[in-house]
Amino acid sequence: MKPRTKTVLLIVGILFVAGAAAGFYMFNLKAKDLTRVKPDYVITATDLLKAFEGDEVSAAATYVGKTVEVTGEIGAVTPGEESSLNVALKTGSDFSAVICTVPEGAAAGTPEAGKQVTVRGECSGYLMDVLLKNCVIINQ
Amino acid sequence: MKRSLVLIIFTVLALSVSAQKYMTKNGFISFYSHTPMEDITADNNQVAGIVDISTGELVFQVLIKSFHFERALMEEHFNENYMESEKFPKSSFKGKITNLASLDLKKAGTYDVVAEGQLTMRDVTKPVTVKGTLEVTATGINANAKFKIVPEDYNIAIPGVVREKIAKDLEVTVIMKYSPM
Repeated sequence: MKPRTKTVLLIVGILFVAGAAAGFYMFNLKAKDLTRVKPDYVITATDLLKAFEGDEVSAAATYVGKTVEVTGEIGAVTPGEESSLNVALKTGSDFSAVICTVPEGAAAGTPEAGKQVTVRGECSGYLMDVLLKNCVIINQ
Repeated sequence: MKRSLVLIIFTVLALSVSAQKYMTKNGFISFYSHTPMEDITADNNQVAGIVDISTGELVFQVLIKSFHFERALMEEHFNENYMESEKFPKSSFKGKITNLASLDLKKAGTYDVVAEGQLTMRDVTKPVTVKGTLEVTATGINANAKFKIVPEDYNIAIPGVVREKIAKDLEVTVIMKYSPM
């Protein structure tokens, strides 16, 4: 084999292995832990609900899929399935809250009704309430 | 004056007794795909639902984006390629318990129920029949159900390359803990 062919084969081989490794890495990438992710928006629970109640389409375009850091008072904590917690933040509305699903192990301390907290999560949109998933409680 | 007060109290009591609607905003729906190559699950703990035990009517609504996958890339593909959640952000079920007449849902206990209704995903509505249980407790009503759906029924196109990794029918699990409205 000519040295040149050898080099080409070697490069192709390296590229192939690197590609496969990158693919494998991407495939297995876990859902982001938002503890160290910089939020796209910082807002109060009241203002976040107002944005969706005011203009759902434009609020969805702004917040859905984004990392949003929300501050508010806990109205209720409901245990969910798979050891998750649903933390509902008060919004000043009787009917709607900002509901944050905190996966197992991501709730630092014990979230309780009445506590003032800051929650970072991924906004999924508006369904009577504004919904955030994959949340971490970063301050209480 | 006294009489009217008594009347008001009775009316309020009567209303609260006949208030037979239960709701939750923290319901759970997951789906599970099993193939020899891979098992995939996605959970959603943000299901809104109402059940009226006097008429047997059931309503569920979910945001597609609320489904959470263990792998980030799967969640992305689910939202962008399969469910197109920006175009079709919500999915819903509207139905009725069909064997309501044979149940006494005012008594605590666990009852086998059958619900028939319309499931809407990606603007496609299909009839579904779901078997499950309703548990009447002192504080509310718990509903549990499992059923299967076929992605292709809802115009979900799964490319050939990954078709082997996604089950032909997905198992959907529903766990709702309703409180009185």
